[in-house]
Amino acid sequence: MVLLRDGMCPGLDEGLVRGLRAADIKTVEDLVSSDMEELAQRCSVSYKALFAIRRVLLAQHAAFPVSGADLYEELLSSTAILSTGNPSLDKLLDSGLYTGEITELSGGPGSGKSQVCFGVAVHISHQLKQNVIYVDTTGGLTAGRLLQMLQAETSNAEEQMEALQRIRVFRLFDVFSLLDCLYGLCGGGLQRASVGGGSVKAVIVDSVSAVIAPLLGGKQNEGMSLMSQVAGVLKTMAKDFNVAALPLLIKEEFDLKWWSRSKEEGGGAAAAASGKRKRDETDS
Amino acid sequence: SEMTSQRRRREEEEVRAEMSESGAQLFARLEARRCLKDIEPRLFPGDGGPQHGEVVELYGSEGTGKTELLYHLLCRCVLPNAAGGLEADVVFVDTDYSLDMLRLVSIMESRLNSWMRENNEEACRSCLSRLLVVHCSSSSQLLLTLHFLENSFSSRPGLALLLIDSISAFYWPDRCEGGANLAKQEEKLSKCSELLGRLLRDYRITVFATCHAIRRSYSGPSSSSFSDPDRPYLCRAWQRLVIHRLLCSRQEAGNNMAATAGRRQVLTVHCTSSSSSGTKAHRSSSFYVTDGGVEFT
Repeated sequence: MVLLRDGMCPGLDEGLVRGLRAADIKTVEDLVSSDMEELAQRCSVSYKALFAIRRVLLAQHAAFPVSGADLYEELLSSTAILSTGNPSLDKLLDSGLYTGEITELSGGPGSGKSQVCFGVAVHISHQLKQNVIYVDTTGGLTAGRLLQMLQAETSNAEEQMEALQRIRVFRLFDVFSLLDCLYGLCGGGLQRASVGGGSVKAVIVDSVSAVIAPLLGGKQNEGMSLMSQVAGVLKTMAKDFNVAALPLLIKEEFDLKWWSRSKEEGGGAAAAASGKRKRDETDS
Repeated sequence: SEMTSQRRRREEEEVRAEMSESGAQLFARLEARRCLKDIEPRLFPGDGGPQHGEVVELYGSEGTGKTELLYHLLCRCVLPNAAGGLEADVVFVDTDYSLDMLRLVSIMESRLNSWMRENNEEACRSCLSRLLVVHCSSSSQLLLTLHFLENSFSSRPGLALLLIDSISAFYWPDRCEGGANLAKQEEKLSKCSELLGRLLRDYRITVFATCHAIRRSYSGPSSSSFSDPDRPYLCRAWQRLVIHRLLCSRQEAGNNMAATAGRRQVLTVHCTSSSSSGTKAHRSSSFYVTDGGVEFT
């Protein structure tokens, strides 16, 4: 919902905003849905002026339709496929992680999801020389473990340090900080995090369930709504900034019956937003 | 003074004339849009299919083929007549970023391939130019976008189909925003539905919309675990628009015809079409998803 404010567009001055508010028109949506003639009379303003304001506001706030041909061209030129560093995993993912898409990893505890993500982060930062954002909500990421994995790739200390510098870690433990962080990334944070000549190519969220699970179940709607929001901002980030987003989720049958039931409710919303999924098996 | 007020009135009349429909626009609006009754007869009962101004809802949980069906219908519309298409323009409203252009193009190419061997790229591009895509990130933006799209409908008489994937994307955020008041929770989608109803009447387009299933269990621990999972849960204003309801689901493994389908997952669609007299017609069909898109069994 967008509130009408003076100066939003030419012709929308303070007097008119007050007049509209008196006519119960407070938001852009209210204005666009109203009868222009009737409103012009009530607010003693010319029909032409009001119609022009409506047209400008609509153009500013509605989503703009794009031709399928242009969209496809843009996608072809901007989509990249990132190898995960593990050939069999790459095969499972149809060559690797696609930028502009969400790849969800779900599995029970101890099935190796985080380890897979550490490996992906290390591979992208060291081999592909691109940047990675790692959002850690469980406290499971340690620089020592990343260094250990890098030491297996190269013995050159300088290269190891360079690679570590390309992995930017955010530690947060509740969903509001997560949303804050993700919105911040969309609003310029991704460009700021691009160091050493590369750009951010992957955003890993380990894990989404850790911050959402406490809010699910019972009669609360907030948990589902927040999960939709997280999914939405991850998708927007993936598409608009050309990154591969990797959220991690805990598999359903692991927990108590009541928790799994609410998880199923939530599963629809999250899974509906994700592109490809990979089920972790402990022996993969 | 007399002169300035006269001049102002004349100016307003001019602007009003310019803003009201021109003859060409009126023609474009009233001229019959391509009827999509024959878009996919295998899905609808009898010789039925959606008439002008009708809404088809595809309802099902994730992984039941709803978006794949939309790709199938989309291709059917934009492909040239010679390749089995209807040469109609389509608008795709994407609310949860589920449109996979790479997948869509690969389906389109495989259908064009079975018609003409070479020069696929050019043909593909011309088909894609019949498609308009728009992303919405909230129900407020959906409302504004539908208003904005009115311009597209009036200026493109070839636009016959509106696809919405999905209409349920903002259900939880709207519920949360509406607090405890059910009317407030449903307000935004109701407004979108009412606007859509007017656009359907004025422009006679056809709408297919997907709706994700949710499982609700509010009644407490003592009652049965799941209420009927296929019961519609969106606001009444939307339910009133829906004429045909396609329930999509995964077929149980035991019923698979092992010989043909092999390990492929068979998906079923059950269609319920309401007529104006209140009677309902039914039809079931099944399909599986191949590299080249949906294939009916």
